[in-house]
Amino acid sequence: MSARRRAILLVVLAAALPLTACDGDPAETKAASAASKAPSSGYNDQDVIFLQMMVAHHEQGLEMVRLAADRAEREQVRTLASAVDATQTEELKLMKSWLAKWSKPTTSEAAENAHLHHGAAPATGAKEIGALRKAKGAGFEPAFLNLFIGHQGSAVEMARTEQSKGASSDAKAFAGRVVESRTAEIRQMLRLLNS
Amino acid sequence: MRRSVAYPLAAVAAVAAPVLVAAPASAHGYVSAPPSRQALCATGAVPDCGPIQFEPQSVEGPKGLKSCDGGLSQFSVLSDESRDWPATSVGTSVPFRWVFTARHRTSNWEYFVDGTKVATVDGGNQQPDAVVTHNIDLSKFKGRHTVLAVWNIGDTPNAFYSCIDLNIGGGGDGGSQPAPTGEPTRAPAPTTQPTTPAPASSSRPPAPTGEPASGRTWKAGETYKTGDVVTFNGARFRCRQGHTALPGWEPSQFTLALWLPL
Repeated sequence: MSARRRAILLVVLAAALPLTACDGDPAETKAASAASKAPSSGYNDQDVIFLQMMVAHHEQGLEMVRLAADRAEREQVRTLASAVDATQTEELKLMKSWLAKWSKPTTSEAAENAHLHHGAAPATGAKEIGALRKAKGAGFEPAFLNLFIGHQGSAVEMARTEQSKGASSDAKAFAGRVVESRTAEIRQMLRLLNS
Repeated sequence: MRRSVAYPLAAVAAVAAPVLVAAPASAHGYVSAPPSRQALCATGAVPDCGPIQFEPQSVEGPKGLKSCDGGLSQFSVLSDESRDWPATSVGTSVPFRWVFTARHRTSNWEYFVDGTKVATVDGGNQQPDAVVTHNIDLSKFKGRHTVLAVWNIGDTPNAFYSCIDLNIGGGGDGGSQPAPTGEPTRAPAPTTQPTTPAPASSSRPPAPTGEPASGRTWKAGETYKTGDVVTFNGARFRCRQGHTALPGWEPSQFTLALWLPL
């Protein structure tokens, strides 16, 4: 990979807010460890970084489902997309309200960089959403479904990390919801992709 | 690099007790269409698969294996031929679609039929696109075969494995669905509902007081229209957004956009 290409890639990755929770423990990253452990107020660094990553993840997800609600050919796909839009919009408000309550920003460098340490790209980024925006006609639905199956699969991975390492009961309950509902969404989308 | 941690699966309905699951590694992918064995487990088309149903993207093992389970004992169901895996009818040129939850640099993808390599697709040691489709010529084969699709990672010693059971030449040409043009008229009934709340009925006591039509209990898999009323945990809710109910979408503080407490 040329230096120029690598530079472009980093820019793309940074712009794309790398999102998937990976092997690395996000709570160990520098920016996050600056945040105080505050067991008394009931949350830890993992809760904060989980919510920050999920805020960005949700915003990208909303871009995708809004395209699908408009362009998907099948009623079932459009209905699913609209329902995901409704639920994730609500979840986004909740997550931001918790971060505000803890006086944490809705984004952080640590959340954005969670992927860079091992060089993987997240399931979805600005470039992929841009490509989806250009997909037309019969090609749109399989492109959307495949992309969104991967996107929600990353959400499950992040939420599982939160379930095992988080402290906030709200954030962990939310993570449980994410695991459950996204697993069910993936099931439905895999069926739609193959029917 | 692979470690194991115990964490409870939230899908309480599906799992009786917390089980030991391999921690997801950092790169993930599988063949989504035609459905691989792990995809069939994830959709429930093949039941009782164990933990793979929750992480179809995690069949990761050292490069060079020829196994459907990546050498992972917790996913050994994927190599269990007694499960009678359903075969997808396809033509002779088959589009294989991959799902990625993280996109590592890719050495290549390899396809084997009954143990013989039939195609290699170079990954250029680049991060793949989010949506990858390979059209593989399987015209030398007829009838039922198992395809092993391998994603060889460029910057780790590992690969991801997917087995796909096919009935080659048995179905429409071009594979399972190169473009799903054929079915625009699946479910004409519930059009996407605007989020306007249904006509506001005066607030009612939480207990259903003699209302025959609105006492249905919320149930996953049901399709609800805007305005439908359900009961859940003793409380009543009105649907604000038409949808098919999923586990995790039951009325709660997380789903206020779907269900308005009454």
